[in-house]
Amino acid sequence: MLIFSVFKTLTDQQVTVELKNDLSITGVLKSVDQFLNIRLDNIQVLDAARHPHMMAVKNCFIRGSVVRYVQLPAEHVDTQLLEDATRREAANPSKR
Amino acid sequence: MSFFGFDDNNLENDRQRFLRGEQPNNQPIPEYTWGAEGYDGLGDALQEGGDDLNDETFGGSGPVGKDFDFSGTSGQPEYQSAENQHPAPHNELKYHDPLLGPPSQHQQQSAPKGIPPNSLESLWDDKSPFSALPRTSSRASPGYGSPIGYNRLESPSQGMNRNGMRNAGDLDGEIRILAQQNREREMAAQRQILLQQQQQQEEYLLRQQEQELRLREREQQQQNYLQEQERRRYLLQQEQMRQQELQQRDLRHDLMRQRERELLQQQQYQQQTRTPPPRMLASPSPRFLEHQRQMQIIQYQQERQQALRVQELQEQVRMENLERQMRAQQIGGHQRQLSNHTMAELQAAQAQLERRQRSQSPAARLPLGEGLHYVPQQPRTLADITQSDMLRDLGGTPAEQETLRMEAMRKIVEAEKLEEKRRRRAAKIAHMSRYNDLMTQSDKDFITRIQVSQLVTQDPYADDFYAQAYSQIMRSRMGLPGHDERVLKFGAGGGIGLGVAPKGNHRRQSAMQKMQQQVERIVNNARRREEEKGMHSLHSLQGALGKTSGRSYKAAPRQLLQVDPNASTSPSLAHATAHISKQDAADDAARPKEDAGAEAARLGREALGDAAHATDFVNRDPLTQKEALHTLEDIHDLVLRAEQLKQEEPPEEDEEQYVAWDIEYSAIVDKMWLTVKVMAPIATSDPHPFISLLMPMKGKRVLLRLARHFTNQQMLTMLTLLVACYSQLDVVRTSAILDTLEDTKERAEVERQLHTFLATVLQVIVSVVSNASLRLITGLLGLLLDKNDVPTLAQTEAGLSVITVLLARVEVIKQSLSTLTEEEMPTPDDASQWQMMYDHMFELLTPVFPLLFPSTRMLTRGYQLPPSNPVIDALDRPAWQFLATFALHAAPEQQPILVQSLREKVLENVISAKKGWVADEEERAAKLANVDLFLQALGLSSALIEP
Repeated sequence: MLIFSVFKTLTDQQVTVELKNDLSITGVLKSVDQFLNIRLDNIQVLDAARHPHMMAVKNCFIRGSVVRYVQLPAEHVDTQLLEDATRREAANPSKR
Repeated sequence: MSFFGFDDNNLENDRQRFLRGEQPNNQPIPEYTWGAEGYDGLGDALQEGGDDLNDETFGGSGPVGKDFDFSGTSGQPEYQSAENQHPAPHNELKYHDPLLGPPSQHQQQSAPKGIPPNSLESLWDDKSPFSALPRTSSRASPGYGSPIGYNRLESPSQGMNRNGMRNAGDLDGEIRILAQQNREREMAAQRQILLQQQQQQEEYLLRQQEQELRLREREQQQQNYLQEQERRRYLLQQEQMRQQELQQRDLRHDLMRQRERELLQQQQYQQQTRTPPPRMLASPSPRFLEHQRQMQIIQYQQERQQALRVQELQEQVRMENLERQMRAQQIGGHQRQLSNHTMAELQAAQAQLERRQRSQSPAARLPLGEGLHYVPQQPRTLADITQSDMLRDLGGTPAEQETLRMEAMRKIVEAEKLEEKRRRRAAKIAHMSRYNDLMTQSDKDFITRIQVSQLVTQDPYADDFYAQAYSQIMRSRMGLPGHDERVLKFGAGGGIGLGVAPKGNHRRQSAMQKMQQQVERIVNNARRREEEKGMHSLHSLQGALGKTSGRSYKAAPRQLLQVDPNASTSPSLAHATAHISKQDAADDAARPKEDAGAEAARLGREALGDAAHATDFVNRDPLTQKEALHTLEDIHDLVLRAEQLKQEEPPEEDEEQYVAWDIEYSAIVDKMWLTVKVMAPIATSDPHPFISLLMPMKGKRVLLRLARHFTNQQMLTMLTLLVACYSQLDVVRTSAILDTLEDTKERAEVERQLHTFLATVLQVIVSVVSNASLRLITGLLGLLLDKNDVPTLAQTEAGLSVITVLLARVEVIKQSLSTLTEEEMPTPDDASQWQMMYDHMFELLTPVFPLLFPSTRMLTRGYQLPPSNPVIDALDRPAWQFLATFALHAAPEQQPILVQSLREKVLENVISAKKGWVADEEERAAKLANVDLFLQALGLSSALIEP
């Protein structure tokens, strides 16, 4: 739930989602759910020349399970708070 | 054109022959003998009948009125030439012959009117295909439908057309003159003109019909004439009569067709584009004028028709546009105003388009509102024309018109683009709408319920901690009233964290409300089922839509690190080490045993009466970094717990709960106090465990949060320890690296640590010191001087800062003596104690005054300082600040010493600033500000120093 909670605070921010198929999509995060499915708007694919099929795609829904990494905007993440949240979660083993 | 195989040239040939003066007598008359040899029997195939209207057609039905006679009775010279082809005497003769029979009836009627029988014909004679035929072709009847006849008919009218245009211009002029008068009157006049024109056209049409009639009559007359000729010279046989009749029929038939064709021609003619026809010489003859007038009318009507058609089309387009806009409004929910604006624009653009298309009337500005109210089409066109003409008269250069046109074009293009966009959007929506209602609302609700029900937890705040805290921080940072948990709670326990508050999104809010209702329902249902079944019913939905936990995901990589959380005896360490390795965990588990061993040894020593037994003193190794980090994690957990408890603090009125809470909270705080190890003796280790905890960045940071939970006494104790062990701090020990100019990683790290220290630990010190009494400050300073090497400490920014804080507090106390209460009032004893301590410090620092400056320290270390470097000035600033504060407390006899030792530094700064060695204005100001900071404390100023 922690990551879900974090993503909730990142809505309407620019994120880069790296998929397990090596596709890297940058876009505005519109929503996430508890499966960490991601909806992106106004997307831009890294190395667009290699992925011409993505040229016309302007928004997308990404299934959470195909995400490898999500690059977050550092200025919108409170690292200390994130640490605390991690500690909270860690302190509560039932949530794991 | 032959009818039943007869050669229809016969009649014409006969006529030609007759005209040449040949005697038909000389020619053998073909005999048609029915039933005889060579008879083809076609005569029986003829259908007789359909002659009912013959009388009407040929004027036998009654007297013919004179009202069609517009051209008057005057004979025309043109007619004469045409007339010459018809031997008039013959005509007259034959017409009046009583023996002629029925066809002459009409002739007899028209003759008494005193009108020369051919006078009306003559009007059209030169254009008539009949009259033209003899000249152009020897064949009579085929000429009717031939292109020759068509052209003949058309060409004069084309000439008229040209003339008509000229007259239209005149008309335009008239209109313009009228336009300067009252508009209504002008409108009326226009309508009148229109009416007149309509009348005239009607008349014209009537006349045309009449003329056609007459043409037919003449044709008949010709036939009659020929018949008469033949009858007079020969006895007409029945066969011949029949033949005549057949020919007549043929002619009649042709006439009907001709009429049709003429009508068609007229229509085509009216629809024709107005290509400029060759100019025709204008003859002043009244008949010509009459023609001209008629042609003008025709042309005007054609113009009007065209304009009307264009306008109709435009009206249609406009209506379509409006309709589309309305639809777009309904669909897209456009702002009404905006759309109205666009409509007005569209209409304006259209009006301009209209004007452009109406090439004869130049473009002129039309008020935007013009198109808004509905005007009947015909008057509207006229009104537009006149208005635009009027406006053109009033002003509007071609350039302006051009810009207007351009503007209109631009608007049209824009509108088109918008339209295109809208259409594409609509198409897309239509395309996607295939999938509409694939799921019913209840399906969607069901899914939402399942999904949301998995989000329901017992402690929504804790589970959504990050988002909750983050939004709270954000709100407080934006200055909004904070502390409002964005959590949906359902009855006793359970709820959903909503994360960051939406930014006034109504749709989202209503969705939230809807969801809340749904979730409440599902939670209640779940509870009921739970009661019924006696089991946790939410399990039935677990995994219904997939699993949230990644660990159960089958494709997940196998974990390389198998960590057993129970391997460690310390539960707090367990989670911290869990992600490191099992080995670490084992080490950690072993460590407490070692400690236990040490403890046992200590106890043994105590029992043996060791010298150290009086104190709780165990000289042990300082905390390793890992230990410190572990401890800090414990502290963090405690702090979090304490913070959460603090939030859940019940009102003090609720005694029972408050007491229970207080006990819990106090227990946490006590545990925290123990964990920070402040109470460990100063000599426990070097660095002291507490100082060790302050070394990592997060240790420095957590101090601020810890401070909120500790009592004042606890904080003072902590401060005392901190001051006593100040030189053990990493920021003091590593500060030497800051006196280098190398840009290394270590330096950057030390700088970062220092900044964090100043922002956190020093803030805690300031907050404690700001309430301290003079005696306490004296004690702290004494401790600092006693336990630390002050000259060294003063050469670090952290050390300098803490001394400055203490001195500043004393200064504040001194200045606020009058406002202090009895209790706070420092006793004279305190004051003398302080002065003593100050003097001691002064003595200690005197030799190192210049070295307090990082710039000086850098020089002594052999660095070549750049002559002007704003960084250096910034580095020196704390030193100047310290000296300024220091100087405030200096006794009169101490001040000269201070000034003497700092003279060089002051002068260097002032001179470099004033002599202009420093290029940067900002830097110069900084230098002077630094110096003045110090000098003003002594009652001096840099302005007094003359370089």
